[in-house]
Amino acid sequence: MTTFDPRWKWMRQLAAFAVLLLLWEAAGRAGLLNPLFVPSPSLIGRALYELFADGRIWPHIDATFTAALLGLALGILAGIVLGVVAALVPPVAELLEPVMTLLNAIPRVVLAPLFVIWLGIDLASKVALAFILVAVVIFFTVFNGIRQVDRKLVERIVTLGGGRWDLVRHVYLPSVAAWVLGNLKIAVGFAFTGACVGEFVAASRGLGYLLSFAQSTYNSALMFALIFLIMVVVLLIFAIAGRLEKHLLRWN
Amino acid sequence: MRVRDLTISYGREPVLEGASIEVDHGEFVSLVGPSGSGKSSLLRAVIGLQQPLAGTVEAGYAPSEIGMLFQDDALLPWKTARDNVSLGLTFNGMGRSLALVQGDFWLDKLGLAGFGDRFPRHLSGGQRKRVAIAQVLAMQPKLLLMDEPFASLDAIVRARIIQDVAELVERERISVLLVTHDLEEAISLSDRVYLLSQGPRARITQQYQVPIARPRDLVKARVHPAFGPLYEKLWNDLSHEVDFDRLAEAAE
Repeated sequence: MTTFDPRWKWMRQLAAFAVLLLLWEAAGRAGLLNPLFVPSPSLIGRALYELFADGRIWPHIDATFTAALLGLALGILAGIVLGVVAALVPPVAELLEPVMTLLNAIPRVVLAPLFVIWLGIDLASKVALAFILVAVVIFFTVFNGIRQVDRKLVERIVTLGGGRWDLVRHVYLPSVAAWVLGNLKIAVGFAFTGACVGEFVAASRGLGYLLSFAQSTYNSALMFALIFLIMVVVLLIFAIAGRLEKHLLRWN
Repeated sequence: MRVRDLTISYGREPVLEGASIEVDHGEFVSLVGPSGSGKSSLLRAVIGLQQPLAGTVEAGYAPSEIGMLFQDDALLPWKTARDNVSLGLTFNGMGRSLALVQGDFWLDKLGLAGFGDRFPRHLSGGQRKRVAIAQVLAMQPKLLLMDEPFASLDAIVRARIIQDVAELVERERISVLLVTHDLEEAISLSDRVYLLSQGPRARITQQYQVPIARPRDLVKARVHPAFGPLYEKLWNDLSHEVDFDRLAEAAE
């Protein structure tokens, strides 16, 4: 029996992907695939090249990034603040938790058209959508996290003579940071979902807007190119988030 | 340290009722009893983590002079061994740089020189226990409360740690109240042993003087002529407590 060396896992994955691309390309050239629906990889590649060649992609990438990162930052901030307050002040939790539970239960992207009406087709409505997607996730992370802080750690700090501020500084804040970082990748994914869906609904710029444009003009090569681009962008942010997480949670 | 007529209750029925114990200066006292006899509750009442229903606690020392060693390590996972050990010192107003030096000093005393930069996750169970002990002893307590601190360790590690703690306690002239259900541990370490009956409504039923001079070699203490008879007596009394209550329960 052949054994598979786990060290070469990525090589095998890469090889499988290459084979798939080749088969796809071959099927396209053999006329087995309708380029109107499934363009071959070379056509997608050319569409991708053209986006960058004349530089017209950059304002769109800029718009999506700005919306996603602003929504991410504001969403994390609001999620932490609301989560901490709700966990420490029970009456606030009584009011906030049902709202958040409801927001968590529905697909929050259904709010996109509403944000467009309220905030217009510019940046603000995309930021709002990314924000609401991220804030709800982070809220529950922090809210549940604080309520589950290890009582023993709290008692340990108290018996060593630590006060309230010491508890916040040495127990609660690091715990919150750990939970948020642990969910950072999910939050990043949500932020880009919010930005792209928001642009898809109504916008004049952004990768989501281009995607909507490609759809309305039946340009499937452009569509595939954009999906690929969005994937690369998100993976890039994932990698950065992963490095950050690994560094800050190195104790774990 | 003096506890008088202490009654502790978590619900309708007190777990511990009318317990009185004393620990003289420099004395090593153990409290043994079956599970659920309120041993830990008594310690928690002494350090103020538990409000007694009735009775008084005269700690005889300032809160900062009392150290408490818990059953589990409860180290802050996001702080290095050195930071964990110096934590209590900074709570009590010591400058951070001096506290870190002290941290290394106490790690060294517990046989962990060179482990200061490790996070708890990267230490063995025995090493974590040593860090926890260093953390408490660094505060230079006059009274040390220990709540089954060695229970989770494997036999060899446990024997060595107990020996080290016994020597440090001896050298620093620290008064100790140890809660344990290990009779051997109690006899070999203590000047005096209190026996608690089965809870609820656990009471102090007996107290025993250990006629073996301190300082002791803990291995030699176990083969001391006085050890065997005392162990047997304690064991019989303890068995009686447990059986008696079982019988009473069955009769109801």
